[in-house]
Amino acid sequence: MNPSVSRFAIIRAIVGKDLREFSRDKFFMLITVLGLVAYVALYWFLPSDVEESISVGIHQSGMDSLFAELEEDGGIEFTLVESRVDLETALGFGDSEPDNKLDIGLEFPPDFLSTVSAGEVASVSVLVGPEVPQEIRSAMSSMVREIAYALAGDELPVTRLPEEEIILGQDRAGSQVPIQDKFRPLLAFFVLIMETMALGALVAAEIQSRTVTAILVTPAKVSDFLAAKAILGTLLAFSQVTLLMVLVRGFDNNAPLMITTLLLGSALVTGFGLLIGSSGKDFLNQIFYSMALLIPLSIPAFGVLFPGAAGPFVQLLPTFGLVDAMVGISIDGAGWRDVASSLGMLAAWVLIAFALGLTLLKRKVQTL
Amino acid sequence: MSDTRAIDVRGISYSYGNLLAVDDISFSVEPGEILGFLGPNGAGKSTTIKMLTGQVDPKSGSITVLGYDAIKSRAEMQSRIGVCFEEKNLYLNMTAAENLRFFASLFNIADFDPEALLRRVDLVDKSGTHTKGLSKGMRQRLMMARSLVNRPDVLVLDEPTDGLDPVSSRAIRRIIREEADRGAAVILTTHDMEEADKLSDRVAFINEGKIATLDTPENLKLAYGKRSVKVRSRDGDQISEQTVALDGPEAGEELKEAVASPGLMTIHTEEATLENIFIQLTGRGLE
Repeated sequence: MNPSVSRFAIIRAIVGKDLREFSRDKFFMLITVLGLVAYVALYWFLPSDVEESISVGIHQSGMDSLFAELEEDGGIEFTLVESRVDLETALGFGDSEPDNKLDIGLEFPPDFLSTVSAGEVASVSVLVGPEVPQEIRSAMSSMVREIAYALAGDELPVTRLPEEEIILGQDRAGSQVPIQDKFRPLLAFFVLIMETMALGALVAAEIQSRTVTAILVTPAKVSDFLAAKAILGTLLAFSQVTLLMVLVRGFDNNAPLMITTLLLGSALVTGFGLLIGSSGKDFLNQIFYSMALLIPLSIPAFGVLFPGAAGPFVQLLPTFGLVDAMVGISIDGAGWRDVASSLGMLAAWVLIAFALGLTLLKRKVQTL
Repeated sequence: MSDTRAIDVRGISYSYGNLLAVDDISFSVEPGEILGFLGPNGAGKSTTIKMLTGQVDPKSGSITVLGYDAIKSRAEMQSRIGVCFEEKNLYLNMTAAENLRFFASLFNIADFDPEALLRRVDLVDKSGTHTKGLSKGMRQRLMMARSLVNRPDVLVLDEPTDGLDPVSSRAIRRIIREEADRGAAVILTTHDMEEADKLSDRVAFINEGKIATLDTPENLKLAYGKRSVKVRSRDGDQISEQTVALDGPEAGEELKEAVASPGLMTIHTEEATLENIFIQLTGRGLE
């Protein structure tokens, strides 16, 4: 026996042992591999571009040039059809699914032009599927009214107010973010969270089976044990989220910056993993604590999918900096300076999570 | 402190909140000696073991192990002790050999051979078996092997044969004796009086955080038992029983007569068991 055992050798031995244990945990190996495969498959299954125009079917007569003119303004694609039956078929109301399904249909009566020109009321049918949102239906009705006013030679009954368009953030008109890209931070977050749970389970098992006590009566110190767990957690989370990001094109923009962000994110979830592992008395208890933490932590990632759904409080959540930086780098092409504040916030939360996790784990280990 | 003492404990105390678990106890163990630590659950045995092995620091008093202060030189002290816990705290997803190798790496032992140690505890054929596939007795033997990876000079064993089958118990007792013969100081906690009697050179009775008495089993039996023998003999269909006091002036003659009797059936000494002595001293049993 060598009395002068180096700290590094001890930490390396504990990390090696933990990796061996982790690789033999069938449950976590299964969910890790399946999770990665499922997330990558989901990413590539999602649409990679955004359909920004609305396809409108028109059944009319004598207004071809008008619709050609409207189409040039952009945003709406008009398809002229021969009959009401053709219109319904194109909208998918018939027995068979059309090749190019239209979003909305407008049927103008044959005497529409003459009726509105005479200043009389004409009736236009707006055909929509149940999936078309109310705002699109209203917009179509407004468009029909506007056409009628234009044909009748009247001004609209309102004065158009002068307006100034202010775009908050990057103007994405004409270059909307594909759902595939919006999902990327969410997938990365899920991988990190999975590792939080795996680390939590590993730590909890070490405490519950009291193997940690056996370690601590050797030359290994509590600090060696804590350091080993912190290294292991960060290593596991970082390697898996990096692999995921490689497979979902997460490093296309500023790879060094993205790697830094993921490393900080891995450290953050490791801190929470230590916290969960120290808190849970048994598996169910641990699941409870995991969920109690994971639900609020996932809000920023879901906020990317549903902009405006989360309130300003989201910025106070520990994972906001992580998600914000990931979105900035991968979607907006942000640089170091652009995401500095997000990374600063993330780093602060890493320190807090680690301080909490290590303090609780230390206390738990010392009172066994 | 005598330089020959492997363990020297002076006036240590420990409390959990308001509960005084260990109250000013002192003892020492020489190299090659086995000290049995006997007491019921909650008597303070495990807390004393925790303090001895550096898991917790005593609130007062001092512990010196192999010349090292257990608080100030914890790592040095821990590098020379071996601990076998009551809980089977092994890594279940690792093999028997991997468990030993991991702990050897914490002691930075070069060229560690787990097979040699596994052979000592009759587990060499289970070297590659995951620990979760081992029986309770096998796990306990592996725990024993683990406590020996660093060839310790002090061995601390917490209930090492509790609930084991006779074969495993015998194997563990043999190893404990071998380690003491090698020169290791052994502290053994148990509530099995028979085991303590067979194995220990000295026993300490601990109750309510205090050492009630500490001596060799023989001295305790002499001090607290009756110096007499009970003789049973048969005379025709009658069985008679006679108690011969060994302290009496006629003891030698009476005993000679009893032994010479043609109907002699049995002769039993009347010495107290350790359990009787414990009850006499503490007013309670070991369970």
